[in-house]
Amino acid sequence: MFFRFSSALVLVVLVSLAGTALEKRNLELKRIVSRQQYRLEILLERHGANRVLAQQLGAPSRLIDELDAEPATAEKPATLQKADRPAAKKRAAGRAR
Amino acid sequence: MLIVFLSLAGRLIQLDITSGDDFERLATRQRIVREVVPARPGDIVDRQGRVFATSVCVRSVYVVPRQIRDGWQLASQLAQALGLDADRIFETIASHPGRHFLWIKRRITDDEAERVRALKLSADICGFRDEFRRRYPQGALAAQVIGLRDIDGRGQGGIEQSFDEMLRGRDGSRELLQDARRRVIEVRDDTEAPPRHGKTIVLTLDAVIQVYAERALDGVVARWKPQSACAIVLDPKSGDILALASRPTFDPNHAESARAESWKNRPIADMYEPGSTFKPFVVAWGMASGCIHPDEVFDCENGEYLMGRRLLHDHHRYGRLSVADILIKSSNIGMAKIGQRMGNGRLYQAALAFGFGGPTGVELPGELPGRVRPLKQWTTYSTGSVPMGQEIAATPLQIIAAYGALANGGTLMTPRLVVREASESGSIGATIVSPVVDSRIADWVRKNALAAVVTRGTGKKAAISGYEIFGKTGTAQKLDPQTGQYSRNLHVSSFVCGGPVDHPRVLVMISVDEPSVSLNGEHFGGSVAAPAAGELLRRALVRLKVPADESLLRSALLPDDFTEEFLE
Repeated sequence: MFFRFSSALVLVVLVSLAGTALEKRNLELKRIVSRQQYRLEILLERHGANRVLAQQLGAPSRLIDELDAEPATAEKPATLQKADRPAAKKRAAGRAR
Repeated sequence: MLIVFLSLAGRLIQLDITSGDDFERLATRQRIVREVVPARPGDIVDRQGRVFATSVCVRSVYVVPRQIRDGWQLASQLAQALGLDADRIFETIASHPGRHFLWIKRRITDDEAERVRALKLSADICGFRDEFRRRYPQGALAAQVIGLRDIDGRGQGGIEQSFDEMLRGRDGSRELLQDARRRVIEVRDDTEAPPRHGKTIVLTLDAVIQVYAERALDGVVARWKPQSACAIVLDPKSGDILALASRPTFDPNHAESARAESWKNRPIADMYEPGSTFKPFVVAWGMASGCIHPDEVFDCENGEYLMGRRLLHDHHRYGRLSVADILIKSSNIGMAKIGQRMGNGRLYQAALAFGFGGPTGVELPGELPGRVRPLKQWTTYSTGSVPMGQEIAATPLQIIAAYGALANGGTLMTPRLVVREASESGSIGATIVSPVVDSRIADWVRKNALAAVVTRGTGKKAAISGYEIFGKTGTAQKLDPQTGQYSRNLHVSSFVCGGPVDHPRVLVMISVDEPSVSLNGEHFGGSVAAPAAGELLRRALVRLKVPADESLLRSALLPDDFTEEFLE
């Protein structure tokens, strides 16, 4: 009788301890998730701030002079050499003859 | 013992039955707090993804006056941390003693937030709330187009206002479980209503072309000291607005220092008589309705023509001019004679067909519709005035949109500013396409008349190397507010141009309100607006990688004494 009673008591205590352990673990995991969420929010905030900074630094109004300096299809050739002109070529050909 | 036990049990049963619900609600309120999760407003970006407007998360400080015991001490501490006046904070708190919530300072810096945290104030009396602060990384670029968001997150002007609902999103909420010391021990997932963040709006603007447009206006303003000026760059094929700039302007990051007149979005909110820029539409409609023929010649009466009781003048004495030359020389007498041939009915139809008298439908608030009076109010005076761009009023956007029809094979496109939502495909607003005149007529006007305006007409100062372009000058007289008559000193000088002539890719318009004649002695659109418009067009064409005509480039580089005999 005593053995049965104590076994049942031990069983109840063990189940309770297991439940408590599970609950603690559950709370711990929730805390970790909350912390991760918080970190994510902080990182997103930093990302937003850095994005604004990057856009400000890369704004066309700041970089337009460099952009203009890039060679483009419609830009004039730097100079047309005198030797390339048709008249100069003609004279050069005459001298060669 | 039994009596005590029974008394307690009875009291418990009584409390449970009579006040159980109230206590349960009270306990829930103490344990569970519903917190608003603010929706992040959407971004506004250009067609390449460059950010015009975005939001960053910042803190705002509040207090709970109802819980404050020593108001002066709290006010002093907060004033020191936030750089505010302690007296004012104290007065604010003292004047609202019963309130549960009172802002102290909104959108504080990280340093200020750190200093407030260091005070270690009780969460019952002071706290932070997250808010979003709008930032404009491109500064003053397209300020009137983008608009602003006020401190409560409402769109004011521009895209911020017209797409406020879409950009703002909807706040969410979540329930937090607190312990006795009000520390959050759990965020309840089951009751969470996630926020619906604002959507990103993609504009048709190109930030680089916008910079070119803004710089072109800066140059015009520096030289001509006008009341205001505006520039528009448009893709005539799609109706996409590539740049839209106004002067004066402001920096939306420092909107508090903006002048009142700088808020005006000039391309849609300035309305004036278009002057000579209206003439090509009359000619195109006259040809479409069979009233005039391209080969016809009109006698321009050597600069003076008595039309009814009204004496019309041209700036120069022209004799007989072809239809194309009437546009090239911008002859008022020639246009009046075309107007007589067409009659008021067809002139009225021409104005409406090219989109005058009604808003273009661009996605911006405050667009003016222009003004075309009802036909029954037109007189014989109108027959001479309307063909030269008087008696009607138009916004710069209406004028350039109408030129879009001439550049797009006679088809009028609704100008549009918004491409699509970044997260979804497809267009937000429908583009309305209206055929106005036959493509052969539109091409004739563009290639035979408007192209020659730049090569040998009033718009020569707009000529650019490497591209064959077309254009039209406009110099509209303004009404003198003193006399109610047309002023000799107040003008709106404008120039519309586009290129290349054969397959137009870009249209540009620059409009200058009241250039100072005394500074440079001129007020004509060909002098005030044309050089800047030509340069802006060249930069836009290069930016869009439109290939230049090599032969035009080469001829521009050859010496003045070069003749064809050199070429074998």
